[in-house]
Order: sequence, then structure tokens, then C-alpha cells
Amino acid sequence: MTLLAKALIRDHRKRPWNILFSILGVALGVAIVVAVDIANSSASRAFELSLETVTGRTTHQVLGGPAGLDESLYAQLRRQGFRESAPVVEGHVQARGETFTLLGLEPFAEAPFRDYANGARGEGVSALITDADAVMLSSRTAARLDLEPGDRFTVTIRGREETVTLRSVLETDEPGLDGIMLADIAHAQVLLQRLGRLDRIDLILPDHDTLERLRALLPEGAEVMATKSRNEATLQLSRAFHINLTAMSLLALLVGAFLIYNTMIFSVLRRRRLLATLRMQGMTGAELFRLVMTEALMVGLTGAILGLLAGTLIGQFLLQMVTRTVSDMYFVLTVTELHLTVWGVLKGLLLGIAATLAAALGPAWEAARISPRDALRRSTLERGVGRLMPWLIGVGLILMGLSWLLLQWPGQSLLLGFAALFLLILGYALLIPPALLILARGLASPLASAFGAMGRLSARGVSAGMSRAGPATAALALAVSATIGVGVMVESFRTTVDAWLGQTLQGDVYVSAPGRSGVGINPVLPEAARARLEALETVETVSTARRVHVHSPQGTLEMMAVDPAPRTPESYRYRAGDGSSAWRSLENRDAVLISEPLAWRLSLGLHDTLTLRTDRGLRAFTIVGVVQEYGSDRGLVTVHRALYDRYWDDPGVASLGIYLRDGLPLDTALGPIRAAVADLGSPVLVTSSGEIRELSMDIFDRTFAITHILRLLTVGVAFIGILSALMALQMERSKENAVLRATGVTPRELGGMVTLQSGLLGLAAGILAIPLGLIMSHMLIEVINLRSFGWSMQHQVSLRVLMEGVWLALLAALLAGIYPGLRMARAQPAEHLREE
Amino acid sequence: MSMIRWWSGGGLALSAVLLLAGCGEQGPKEGEDALAVSQALGGDDMEGYARALAPRDFQFPEDHAAHPAYRNEWWYVTGNLDDPEGRRFGFQMTFFRFALSPTPPESESTWATNQGWMAHLAVTDVAGDRHQALERFSRGGAGLAGAELDPFRVWLDDWELKAESGNDFPWRLLAAEGDLALDLRLTPLKDKVFQGDRGLSQKSPEPGNASYYFSMTRLKTKGTLRLGEQDYPVTGLSWMDREWSTSVLGENQVGWDWFSLQLDDGHDVMVYELRLEDGGVDPLSKGLWVEPDSRHQVIPQDAFELEVKQTWISPQGGTYPVAWHLRLPEQDRDLEIRAVREDQEMDLTVRYWEGAVDVFEAGQPAGRGFVEMTAY
Repeated sequence: MTLLAKALIRDHRKRPWNILFSILGVALGVAIVVAVDIANSSASRAFELSLETVTGRTTHQVLGGPAGLDESLYAQLRRQGFRESAPVVEGHVQARGETFTLLGLEPFAEAPFRDYANGARGEGVSALITDADAVMLSSRTAARLDLEPGDRFTVTIRGREETVTLRSVLETDEPGLDGIMLADIAHAQVLLQRLGRLDRIDLILPDHDTLERLRALLPEGAEVMATKSRNEATLQLSRAFHINLTAMSLLALLVGAFLIYNTMIFSVLRRRRLLATLRMQGMTGAELFRLVMTEALMVGLTGAILGLLAGTLIGQFLLQMVTRTVSDMYFVLTVTELHLTVWGVLKGLLLGIAATLAAALGPAWEAARISPRDALRRSTLERGVGRLMPWLIGVGLILMGLSWLLLQWPGQSLLLGFAALFLLILGYALLIPPALLILARGLASPLASAFGAMGRLSARGVSAGMSRAGPATAALALAVSATIGVGVMVESFRTTVDAWLGQTLQGDVYVSAPGRSGVGINPVLPEAARARLEALETVETVSTARRVHVHSPQGTLEMMAVDPAPRTPESYRYRAGDGSSAWRSLENRDAVLISEPLAWRLSLGLHDTLTLRTDRGLRAFTIVGVVQEYGSDRGLVTVHRALYDRYWDDPGVASLGIYLRDGLPLDTALGPIRAAVADLGSPVLVTSSGEIRELSMDIFDRTFAITHILRLLTVGVAFIGILSALMALQMERSKENAVLRATGVTPRELGGMVTLQSGLLGLAAGILAIPLGLIMSHMLIEVINLRSFGWSMQHQVSLRVLMEGVWLALLAALLAGIYPGLRMARAQPAEHLREE
Repeated sequence: MSMIRWWSGGGLALSAVLLLAGCGEQGPKEGEDALAVSQALGGDDMEGYARALAPRDFQFPEDHAAHPAYRNEWWYVTGNLDDPEGRRFGFQMTFFRFALSPTPPESESTWATNQGWMAHLAVTDVAGDRHQALERFSRGGAGLAGAELDPFRVWLDDWELKAESGNDFPWRLLAAEGDLALDLRLTPLKDKVFQGDRGLSQKSPEPGNASYYFSMTRLKTKGTLRLGEQDYPVTGLSWMDREWSTSVLGENQVGWDWFSLQLDDGHDVMVYELRLEDGGVDPLSKGLWVEPDSRHQVIPQDAFELEVKQTWISPQGGTYPVAWHLRLPEQDRDLEIRAVREDQEMDLTVRYWEGAVDVFEAGQPAGRGFVEMTAY
């Protein structure tokens, strides 16, 4: 075996690029999986930590309706003997470019809950209470923001700027505090403009009886929830997003596996004579099988380790994007630490090795089958590949059939959806080599007429070297189909959202209170705003909206209370229900509209009832319509303002939709509107509907930026694959090429042939990627997206996305062909012939 | 008179509260206790607070309420009670106010305050062989704790001392937690008496190291006391101290022993000894002799003699006197004082001994009282 190992090592030294590509392929695939895993788990971990830090030893929380809790409830509960209780006011503030959760606490009540007070350095906790502008940060955060105790700095809260003083820092490096700014509850109430209200009351309840006693004391609109389940529900918010990212990363690994297959089969083929000689010397097929598998294991292990290292680096970059998306879409997140778990590392290693071994099975089997007399025959393998074609077609079709069957499985499982998607991709990938064969044969004559003999030779070269060209093309086609599939999905989504925005923003100008956030009570407009705007001559009519969180037996839901303008009902697209009658019901009956994601998530439909906790207690509402809505991926309940006022004591309005008189140019109307709300005491945003649409689309694009990156990385893996395949192909053909050179073909012509061949492979991959891409996009839209969010979207296939895919494949192949082409062109025919 | 040692440093006390309560500790640790003393004696920054510099013109009912410009203040009620079967109880209920800064923060929030509150509740059950002490903390905002008039009320959550109507006596003392509850009605049998020089009680020589101090030395008390499952109808006598100050202790004073005694013949006695670092007694120690008709006179330090007869070592390590001999030559009285039980240590965030005592004269029961001892 040592002799054998030496022989193999010598062989690899002679052709280092072959093994290097293998390793690179595994490394890239693993790197992407690990990077996504790190980004996902770091984001989740950071959020978990900050949740843990914020909730401390709290077992239950009393939460209020849309307007929060009346602060007097706290004193009442204390008087009723709920002594392990602490009031909390929280909201978001920006400081030095970062968003923080401002946590307003009552230090006297904190001891049972959180230990923040223990490590206060500087003026201590009492300064936090007695100084009206005092805040506290962890020492790590203070250092990050370059702040010292005593420093004054500016924070932005809902568009307002306020100056605060860092009175004390907490001597702790607890990462959960990285995104948290602490203040006395009184100060937080003032900063967040929440006088008289609390966001929640934290409690430690020893037993069920105490919980029941508490329930009996709470006003109708308040609800007590177990902290654990509330935190879990919050973490669930972004679950679908993380699963989708993981699936994308697995796709990259799959592409990587094709690449591994490619390089492994090449290494078997190339050493056919060496392996056959070994067989002649008495080695069994099983030993050769083990030999190739051991080699694969080494490649897999090395690649996986390199992939881990690279993944950690890429992960840091991805983490920023993930953090941004999560903050845009779900909750404010501050991540300062990469979260590397043993399990995450192990998973990356195992996936890399498993993918390598799985990909090496075929080549190892091939090696085991080599008989001593094959040593001298060259075409056995290609013939073997030819025999394999019907099998590939058969298995490919079976896998695709299985995928279809999986989709028929009842239920909403996202994981099953992804399983079906992967089966489809795998099945289709198996069909690519046969398709390539047909394509190459079919192209032989057209190419011959276009490029002469070199054209025919190129086409024949592809079909003759199918064992290499097949997997390489499959890998490239797969990667490109992913970019097409995801591209079509994103574009469809984008078009749908854009059209929806166009329809939903019926008003011309929107006036809103800045600073809506997922934490705490959302801001309202100054009361005078509406009357002032309605008084304007240019204004025809005004609609109002207030978006809040309401509790329900199914968890916290987003709700929008709308006081409609005459045109408001037109701004909805009804998936179920009748628009004209729905709004009459909304106004007069206990009726609601729900958005698609909510309908999907809670399996609700027209005429079903939805129970919500109102300030009058639990109430059931009839669903009179299911509407398209893309602002919330957890779903939105829309109610008429009249109903909201009947059931909730929250008179505020958060935004006004302004409908201008007909034909009035926007520019002339904006000035008076801005002037009318300029001196209301707190900042107010005046935005035209066009601007809102643009801003929304910006956020949309930002959300999908990470998807684009993953697509490109996947293509990167495929690029390596095609490069290595072309290298293999050309090396393999070096003798034939030498013969061609010897018979008078110029280096230029030879280089041209390589280019043509590369182009052919690229084009084939591009064309073959289109159907898969389209099926994939269909599955992404109709299965994955639906199961993740419940959104419907118009399937929008643009030629641009398809052409981009083909171009990408062609470009990758041509780029990959440059080096082998140059090598061929420069090769001295005599050298290659001498080898013979 | 009580607790001044700790409450000389208001902000300090709060951080101690937050620190210790946060650690889940009951009572201060050795090192922290020492720190508290040195910081308090070192004279925390007292700038901006009002000082007790000269006798004041007491106004009522205003002076029943809080004096937030001074750093510390308390409403201190102690008493001895019996149920109809003769079961003997002692109780202490105190509301402490401490300012965290001289002026309140400027804020519209009802939570905004510069005042912290602490309340202690303790019951001694002689027959049941138990002494239980509880404490609470709160800020003086959002209706959680405070002292106000019309009607008079001092409270921390549901523990409160309040007038039944208006601001005048009778007052009620209400407190419950766990298996302990009291509901007592207090009716004065004597007028208020003003301690020291017309209510200005000088504690150390430096001007301002003094408190405003008056007492209700004899309050008829009737109500119920709940211990565990059992409700006891009780009657007896209570004593209330009202005191507020910004700074009191001098450099070399370490702590003190304070006695309030209600004698069976209708006389009441208060004496305190300020203990010095060198083990001696500060000449500013003094007392007050109150006649049955409320006339009263100061007992200067050289006009009383206090001798420890017996000590007790607490599980926490302090060695407390638990029996004394008090001689009042001018009044021609010779009183033996004995704790009704030794273990009446208040093992709370701030640790001290506060308990019911019996008074004997010539071997015969002659009265009852309460004793407080700090810094042992």
C-alpha cells in the first residue's frame, strides 16, 4: 500500500491542478454552507441572548393592548401582593449609526429579575434615577461607541434628536447587552413619549394558582403570557427566512458535489492505465474501490477544513447582510460576535465529506470495474458512459416523479417542500448528460457548416468526452438554473409587490409619525394634524391608519385600523370575498379583513372567525375578505376605525393618507401640507406615495441582496467545475491535439477549437438550465414561498433573467476555457507525441 | 432616633440595596458594612440638602408629611401588645425615606423622583418563640410609596400608616406579607414631645449634624395581628418617633443604643447612647423624661447611667447587649431592662437589633419598651 500511495502521490504531483480543483470545489461548497450557518446561527444567538438579557429571570409578562398598559396597573399589582414584579418601558433609539433597544426599568424592582445594577461603574444606579438625561450601557458597548462615563451624546427617537448622558457603564462583557441602552423608567417614558403607559410588567410567578389570581385582576385589554413562549414566538418570526438561506447554501454544496464527482471520475479515468496495471499485479476491485474512496476522503477532509476556514470569513460578511435583513423585516438586531458551535463545525465537515464520498461512489465503482485488459483500451469508459445514459434518464425521471409525489403530500411543511425541490434538481441534473449528448450530436453539422472541421471536432469532442463534460455541464446548468429560478422568483415577487404598492397607495401624500418599530407601542401623530390637513384647500379627503399589535389566542398579530377615504376600498386586492360589500361589513359589523399570510398560517378563510383580545375582553370577528398584503410576512388584520374605536381605547392615528383635489400637481400641494404640520411639536414625516413606493422597493431589494450573493457564489462553484472539466477534457485530448498540430492545425485554430468547445458546453448548460430554472421558480413561488409566508405572486418570466442565465453559463465556460485553450495552443506537439 | 448611621448616606444606601438584593443576600456582608460606615462618616456630598441648623417652628399637620429637602426621614412605630389570653407580642413598623439627590429630576413622568423608600416590619411572638423581620423597597414615584396629607398617609405598596380621616389621630397601621399581617389603630394618650432643644436633636458637634425629632411616646393600640393561620385580637401601647435630617454622626461615632420605655406608672423614658470608636460614650448622648401629663425634660448624658448586664451573640456574629441597668438619679429611678427574647436581630439588607423589652424595678415588673442597637 505504501508503494501504491507513493505512486498516487507522484501522480498528483505531476498533475496538481486536478486534485486542487477537487479540494477547491469541496472547500467552496462547504464554505458557503458554513458561512450561511454561521450567519444564521450568529444572528439567532445574538437575538436569543439579548432576549434572555432583556427578560432575565422573568417567568411571565403582562402585556397590554395596542396602547400598552396603564402605568397604575403596576402599583395595583404591587398592592395585591405581586411583589416580584417590575415595570418595563421599551422602544428603539438610534445612536452613532446603530439601533438600540432602550430599556426603561425601575431599579428598585429589578433585583429579582436582572443583575444590571450589580456592576454599575461611574455614578452608579442612583444617578440613573436622579438625572433626567442619564443612560447606561455595557462597557463593551460604550467602548464600541467610543463613549466614556460622563459623555453626552445624541440619540434619535422617531425622528427627534435628544441628548443623553452616559452616567454609568456596566462592567460586563455579556453580549446580550450589546444592543441595549438602559435608562430609568421615568426617563424612558419621556424619551419614548410614553407618559402614563408601560409596555409590559415582568413577573416571577411561583405557581399556577398565582397566575390564575393575576389573570382575575387584569383589566380586559391586558394579557399575561409565559416569557418562554413569547420569546420563542419572537424567534419564530424569522424562521422561514433562515430556512430559505440554509436551503440556498445546500444548493451550493450540491453543485460542489457535482464538481467533486467530476474531478474524481477524471482522476480515475486519467489513471486508468495505472489502475489496470495494479489490477494486473493482483489488486482486487474492492481494493481499488477503497483506494478511490480513501482518496476522496482525503480530498473531502482537506476541502472541508479549508471550507470551514473560508466559511468563517464569508460568514462574517453574510452576517452583516443577514443582520440588516432581519432588522429591516423582523426585529432590531445587534450582532457583535460570530457564533461558532461545535455542531456547526461538525455539520460543515460531515456535509463536505459526505458529499465528497457520495460523489466519489460512481468513480470508485468505475475504478473497481476496471479489468487488467482495459489498460490498453481507451474507449471502454466512454462506451460505459454511453450505456449509462438510459439509466440516467430512468433514475432522473423517477427522482422528478418522487419530487412531484412529495408535493402532493398534504400539509404545509416547508422542509418537505425543500426536499421536493432538491429531488427535482437532482433528477433533472441526471438528465443533463443525455441531453448534452443529444445536443452535441445535433450541433455537429451546424457547427461544421459554421466553423468547418474545427466546429465538427468540437462537437464530437464533447460527445466523446461525455464522462467529463456531462457532470461539468450538469453542475454549471444546475448553478445557472438556480440563478434563473431564484431570479424569476425574485422578479415575480418584485413585480407583484410593486403592483400591490401601486394599488394600495391610493393616497397622493402620506403624513405619518416616524419610528414605527417592533418593540413597544407605536407612535401616533399629534392630534391637531388631521384637522389642519383637512382644512387645506388642496386636500379633497383624508384617510387614517393605525398599525398596532394585538393579542389573540394564536399569538400576537399585527392589526391595522383604517378610517377609509372613498377610494380606500379600491386599494385592496381580494383573494377571497367581495370588495364592495366587505367595507360595509367592516364598518357596521364585527368583521375583519385578513391578509394572505395570516389566512395561510392560521388556516383561515372567508366567513371563518378570528378571536382577538380587545380592551373589552376576547371577541370573535368574522372574516369578510382575504386580501393581498406584502408588508408583513406574518400576516395583517385590517379593521375599520369605527370597529377599532368600539373595542380598543387607543384614540391615536399613526398616519394620514391625503387625497388631493383632482388634477392638482403634487409639487404645489406638498408645500402647504408640509407647512401645515411643521409646528406640531414633534416631527412628522410627509412622504409622497411615489417616494414610499421607492423606499419600499429599496428595502425589498436589500432583503434579497443576500440571495443574489448566494447565487453568484453557487455559480462560482460551478465555474471551478467547468474549468476543471475543460482542463480534463483538453489534457485527455492532448495527444489527439498533438496529432492535429502535427498535421498542420495552427495553435490559433487549436485554441479556437477549445474555445468553441467551452462555448458549446456553456451554451448547452445555459439552455438546459432554462427549463429547470423555470420549474424551480415555479416551485419557489408556489411551494416554498407559499409554505414560508403564504404570499401569492404573479409568475413573471422575463427574457432578461433567462438571457442573463445563458450569458452567465456561456461566460463562465468561456472564461474557464481560456487557460486550457492557451495551454493547448502553446503545447509542443512533439512532446505529446513522444509520450505515446 | 433610629437608623441614622445608615441613612446618613442616602445614595450609598440605595446602591447597597440594589447590590445586596441583587446578589440575593439577606443582610450586608462584613466588608460592605464597614464601607457603609466609613462612607457615611466620611460625609457624603451633602451639598444642596437642607440642614438641621436651628430649632424650627413645627407646623402640623405639615410636619407629619415628608421633608424631601432633607436626606433622611422616618416614621417609626414600635409597640408591645397582648392578646386576651395574655400572649405577648412586640412589633416594629418603619417607613424610611432617603433622598438620592437634593432636587428631583425635571420630568413629566410620574415615575420621576429623587426619593427612595424602605419599609421594615417585624413581629416578636414570645410564646411562639419567633421573631420575623421583613423589608421592602420602592421609589417614591408612580404612587408606589410616599407620604402625603389630606388624608395623612405614609405608604410603600400595601404597607401603610394612615389617618382614619383627615390628618389627625387616630391613625391606622396596616401591613401584610406572607403569613404575617397587622391592622392596628393608634390613639395618643399624650401630646407630642419635642426631643433635644425644642425638637432640634444635636448628634455631633459640627453645626448641622443634627435632626428634627419629635415623639408620640404613648399611643393606645388596638387591633389584630395575624401569624400564620391564626388571628390574634391585640391591645397594648405603641411609641412613634418622627425624625428627619441630612447628616448626624461625627467622625468618631460608630453607632448607638436607643431605649424607649413606657412605665406602668404613666411615665415614659427615652435615652440613647452614642458609642465612640474608643469604646466611650459621646457627651451628646441624652434622653427625655416624660410625665403622665406630657410635661417633659431633657436628661443630659451625665444625668443617666447605663450598664450592660448580659450579652448575646447573634448567628450573624454581632455581640449584642440584651439586659441592662438604667439609673436615673434625678428621677430617683433604678430600672432593670431585659429583652423579651434575645434573638430580635433584624437580619435585613441593613442589619441591626430592634426588640421588645421588659422593665423591672426592685424585681417587680414596672413597664415595657423597645430597644434599638446599631453597629454591633
